[in-house]
Amino acid sequence: MKIITLVRGTIRELAAKATLYVLAGISTLMLIFAALAIGADSTADGMSITFFGKPASPPVTHDTLADLAGKLEAGFAGGLFFGVVVFGVFGTAGVIPDALEKGTVDLYLSKPIARWQLLLGKYLGSVAVIFLNILYFIGGLWLIVGVKVGVWNTQFLLSAFLLTYVFASLYAVVAFFGVVSRNMAIAIIAGILYLLLVAGPLEGRQTGLYLLSESGIYRGILDGLYYVFPQIPAMESGAIHLISGEQAQLTPFAQSLLSAGGILGVAAWLLHRKDF
Amino acid sequence: MLAIESDALSKVYKSGVFRRQEVTALTEFSIQVETGQIFSLLGPNGAGKTTFIKMLLSLAAPTSGSASVLGRRLPDVRVREKVGYLPENHRYPGYLTGEQVLRYFGALGGAPSSALPGRIGTLMELVGMSQWRTMKVKKYSKGMMQRLGLAQALINDPEIIFLDEPTDGVDPVGRKEIREILRDLKRRGKTIFLNSHLLSEVELVSDRVAVLDKGHLLKVGTVDEMTATGQAYVIGITGTLPDPVTVAARAFVIGLSQQGENVTAECRTIAELNQVIDLLRRNNVEITSVTRQRSTLEDSFISLITGEGRP
Repeated sequence: MKIITLVRGTIRELAAKATLYVLAGISTLMLIFAALAIGADSTADGMSITFFGKPASPPVTHDTLADLAGKLEAGFAGGLFFGVVVFGVFGTAGVIPDALEKGTVDLYLSKPIARWQLLLGKYLGSVAVIFLNILYFIGGLWLIVGVKVGVWNTQFLLSAFLLTYVFASLYAVVAFFGVVSRNMAIAIIAGILYLLLVAGPLEGRQTGLYLLSESGIYRGILDGLYYVFPQIPAMESGAIHLISGEQAQLTPFAQSLLSAGGILGVAAWLLHRKDF
Repeated sequence: MLAIESDALSKVYKSGVFRRQEVTALTEFSIQVETGQIFSLLGPNGAGKTTFIKMLLSLAAPTSGSASVLGRRLPDVRVREKVGYLPENHRYPGYLTGEQVLRYFGALGGAPSSALPGRIGTLMELVGMSQWRTMKVKKYSKGMMQRLGLAQALINDPEIIFLDEPTDGVDPVGRKEIREILRDLKRRGKTIFLNSHLLSEVELVSDRVAVLDKGHLLKVGTVDEMTATGQAYVIGITGTLPDPVTVAARAFVIGLSQQGENVTAECRTIAELNQVIDLLRRNNVEITSVTRQRSTLEDSFISLITGEGRP
């Protein structure tokens, strides 16, 4: 119950910040653009997707049109991923450092709540806000494609959960650095650097970092690190495959769940040891 | 029953890259606070007052020693169900209204949601904030924030209330109101633990006072015990003492002086005081009053801190 109160409090806190309205505004602009651009044209040879009234595909059967629409939606979801990461991290990275600030943390921890509950409540609140933003965009795009092309791809709605899942994995890293540093800027930088300098290179280690040495120990360490941290790029790619109706490996999702849980656990332990 | 008990509680903060720098905030601090008392902890900045409260609330872990609150040995998260806290320099979310702040922290404190609306109304009225209950906190003045903070500390109907500088930024009328609230809470059996720099206020409301300096407990006692200055008595008389009487009185007391119509006699025993009174009466000096001389709490505090009044 107290965690729910913290989640609701965090949603309210983030709703009061302009950053998330900016994200919602960008989503709205993209939805307006999609609504104006996307259409479908029916001819004797079949149906084609149009872009600003001009055919973007040759006339195809309804089944093929559904595949094309799925790919179009997957493209949008992939594009959304970067926006979610950048704006999401920027918009929510301050939540945990703010809660741990002198004068605020005293108020929270003088109440009968455990420190891990405070961390989890703030974490889930931030993830919930990002989920609402993603759901707004994905839901809007699903409606536009459904109404204008006539393809109601329920799998695309699933991508709202998948993208939130990916964000939640990355946000565990941001939350960890928020607890350690109690500084929003450090939490943001650490999150983005993790994505660019750790997760990316580790994902492509076989064609990149492996080339630096043939040592089995070195490569073993790289593999170990790959499985210790959340596999953001692998999940992103898996999510896009799933939205397109293709097969995707679910291992990165399961491994990242364990990894993010472990990172949050260590953050909770560090928080438990802190003096305020 | 004891509301608070600490036994040789010490706190050393470690800082620096390798945590090699040590700052001792509290050294073997032992006190007992009875339930239903207003207990004040006094000390200059950095004395360890806030550290002590933070250890009682498990915001900081003791380096050594032990403490219990309401009979429960710390750390124990359940203790905080019965405790209210107004921290110094508290920060409430500016986007919430006063009423929303109380609802939020009341819910976190475990207050039943059905009871909260009524309790919020009562507390807002108690702290004189009813008309600003729907105003955003970011528009509040310092004094209004303190009043809201006090209401927040009371939202879960706690048995012990920790107040760290509760009248900071509050105007004199507001301070008087807060003093009345504290007295009312005491009448209702609540224990109040007060940290304050405003010694004149502490003197007006406290049952017992402890003075802390550089982490060490210097003295603990009632306000009367803290402000008593040995066996000095002020004897009110009409007119002035004749010189022969003054000379005769000085023969059996430590010191005797007159200022206006007040004679101050510094005696070793009550018998000596009675001898002085007998002497004055024999010489037809009219006595209007006899009172034990007291210093203010501020004088006693400064005397303790500077070392003059240390036991």
